[in-house]
Amino acid sequence: MSKKLAGLTKFNTRELFGPLLTVLILSIGVGAISASLQLAVQFALCNLVMVIALQVFVGNSGVLSFGHGAFAMVGAWISGMSTASERVKGNALALQELWQPLVGFNLNLYLSILAGMVLGALIAAITGAFLMRLNGLAAGIATFALLGLFYNFFFNNITFGPGSQALPAVPKFSGVYEPLVLSLIAIVVVYLFNISATARNLRASREDLLAAPALGVSIQRVRWIAFTISGALAGLSGAMYVHVAGTWQVQDYYLVFTFLTLAMLVIGGSASLWGAVVGTLVVTAVGQILLLWEQGKSIVGIKLDLPNGARSLIIAGSLVAMLLWRFAGVTNGKEFSIPFLGKRKSG
Amino acid sequence: MAILEVKDLQAGYGKVDVLFGVSFSLEPGQSLGIVGPNGAGKSTLMKAIAGEVALKSGSVHLQGSPISGKKPEDVVRLGLSLVPEGRQIFGGLTVTENLMLGLTGRRDKASSKQALDQVRGLFPVLNTHAEYQAGMLSGGQQQQLAIARALVADPKVLLLDEPSLGLAPTVIMDVFSKLKEIIALGTSVVIVEQRAHLVTAFAEKTLIIRAGKVQATLTPEDAKDEVALRRAYFGAGA
Amino acid sequence: MQAILDAISLGGTYALAALGLGLVFGVMRLVNFAHAELITISAYVMVVTNDLPLLISFLLASLVAALLAILTELAIYRRLRGTGPAIMLIASFGLSVGLQKSYELIFGALPRSAAVAPWMTGSFEFAGLNFTISSLVTVAITIAILLAMGYLVERTTLGLQLRAAATDFKTARLLGVRSNRLIGSAFAISGILASAVGFILVVENPQVDPMFGLNITILALVGIVIGGISSLRGAALGGFIVGFILSILNTFLGNARVYAYSYLFLAVVIILLVRPGGILSKRNEMERV
Repeated sequence: MSKKLAGLTKFNTRELFGPLLTVLILSIGVGAISASLQLAVQFALCNLVMVIALQVFVGNSGVLSFGHGAFAMVGAWISGMSTASERVKGNALALQELWQPLVGFNLNLYLSILAGMVLGALIAAITGAFLMRLNGLAAGIATFALLGLFYNFFFNNITFGPGSQALPAVPKFSGVYEPLVLSLIAIVVVYLFNISATARNLRASREDLLAAPALGVSIQRVRWIAFTISGALAGLSGAMYVHVAGTWQVQDYYLVFTFLTLAMLVIGGSASLWGAVVGTLVVTAVGQILLLWEQGKSIVGIKLDLPNGARSLIIAGSLVAMLLWRFAGVTNGKEFSIPFLGKRKSG
Repeated sequence: MAILEVKDLQAGYGKVDVLFGVSFSLEPGQSLGIVGPNGAGKSTLMKAIAGEVALKSGSVHLQGSPISGKKPEDVVRLGLSLVPEGRQIFGGLTVTENLMLGLTGRRDKASSKQALDQVRGLFPVLNTHAEYQAGMLSGGQQQQLAIARALVADPKVLLLDEPSLGLAPTVIMDVFSKLKEIIALGTSVVIVEQRAHLVTAFAEKTLIIRAGKVQATLTPEDAKDEVALRRAYFGAGA
Repeated sequence: MQAILDAISLGGTYALAALGLGLVFGVMRLVNFAHAELITISAYVMVVTNDLPLLISFLLASLVAALLAILTELAIYRRLRGTGPAIMLIASFGLSVGLQKSYELIFGALPRSAAVAPWMTGSFEFAGLNFTISSLVTVAITIAILLAMGYLVERTTLGLQLRAAATDFKTARLLGVRSNRLIGSAFAISGILASAVGFILVVENPQVDPMFGLNITILALVGIVIGGISSLRGAALGGFIVGFILSILNTFLGNARVYAYSYLFLAVVIILLVRPGGILSKRNEMERV
């Protein structure tokens, strides 16, 4: 029976600290190399939080969501809007029409991030109350419509934001530590959720839509819980992003972002937290190497002159290749384990 | 030469094995019954022969040439048709359209027409209800359509998976008497049934399958022996 | 009056896009995001071969789009059959982005333009009303193609097989329907439909960039889901509704027209909540997909 319900069920130190240490060591190690890599690490951490947000919902429920970009969008929006200085908000060309109360709305950095999480969770909770009834393709398209709706609104609205332009001068994180700590917290939260009874029930519904209700599990309810939590995390990811980029622009949370983070999840393996971490890591690393080649630099002595745009092409290509080779992802849906240290009892 | 020869067939789904070495052979014009309890692997056996489920080992020969490993659409063209469990007629299509689909593998227009006329003679209801949506037919009529649809492909061997499923007793007798006619026309028939009585009395020879293996072979004589039948069907304990 | 004609013409174009998507979905439960790139490539081909006679240029575009469609089937989708719609959806998403980037490398990120069929941009007067030629031609093309598709699907052997496979592929194969050939045909036809869409779009907007076909594809996808993905009729109807509503909203929202998409997406969510199987679905069945 336990074999059927892939994913963790009880607390296992290794499964939690494996991902934590991996992220910690790599972030600090790579971040120390150069200023540009340090910035890359910060962006990667934002993506990581988004990918584990997706894992919480998509991975556990098996329902596809294209709508998480919307939660990141609003999370980033409120976090950026509440920290950009009053002077900028009052004078910037793109913000001439900004609603007055927003100009005076100010929070400190951490409160603004919390606000991003709360707003992400709130929007997810409200929309989820309706959307969680849907399965399969209808769910995919409905969440996509959600993303499209938010994008269309923010892209054109100049009362609540800069419309298609950028909100400038959002305060940045001082270094890699702030986003790192936030990411580590997110990992712990997701791990604890994934071993909870709620997540277990959700995975049961993924395996069999009919059996779960028979066991007394309300699919809609457990999905809604996961959707709300993952909405909060997506909001967090957006809030982090806005303080890494130092600017808010609606395009940053649309199709490319959705595709990239979903690709990371699928490449790593959506069934496990470790898969989300590995996927983010692999795609980011490949992307970085390709970026350097695109810029004509050499890496460990290898220099390739990639034309502009080849990077995204290769990432898209490797996503498809990944699916062809092993559609459960690099980790094959397994949690972190060290092969030679004795296997977790399976079965 | 046997028209259908199954040797040591093993098959299953993923890591789960269902059949553990089934062998039998069928002579031209012969009828073979296959009975057994739920989950014995009867349907899997049919699917494996028809190419829907991959073989893990063993072989299937039709008229002496191997058909194992071939796709279902190719197996039909070689002369073996399966009437699947639950009939699976296309409810949204008309009766005629269902029959036309049965002709998919045939090239020759004239013989196709002939085959259509033949099954319409055999099952008059298909003529009178030609333009009905197949989903509106009764269960028995749908079963007749499913059999006719397989027959127009001119199979040498016709496999039927639970043709009596969900039908009233009188309708079942009807279907079986049609099968008699089909056999008389020279088609070899394999019938899978959960209702052992029915088939054992009908077929020239009946295999009992339990736990993925052939447990016994019965003749119509055995159908009268209630106790022996029960024992063979459910195992020694019954 | 022109507004209605515009709405019908846009609805028709969306219906064609939706039909191409619905055809492929029917036979293999694939939501093909990369359909956008079939539309895009045919627009590129028409721009690049604009010096040739229009018909030749269009036929070339159709050929390229159909070949690309078949190629994606052979190289990618065929190997993913049976992995489930979610995996295939993500793969097609990846393929879509990959093709966009390839176009960027081949044709550049900036739009390529050429005046394809310039005579169609003119307008004429009839019964005191002004009409653009392009909207009239679009409506004519759409009706012709829809009729042809109707004939193909309802009256030919291929159409019968497509309909059968869309309801139950397994049984269709048991009856001798060749799966690879049928799916290949569906992809080829979807490529040809995409080229018709590409033609209509490139006449209206001769600026072709790598994302050219994306917008209409996303909206057509939305259309097939609300129309009812399990039937081609539903797909075409849904596509039409989306295009029609969008065009009407654009006309009547005035300055708020920029929010047309928001209203549309909101309508989509509501329709899906009321009828998860689409407008044309008969029962509230548990989804097969």
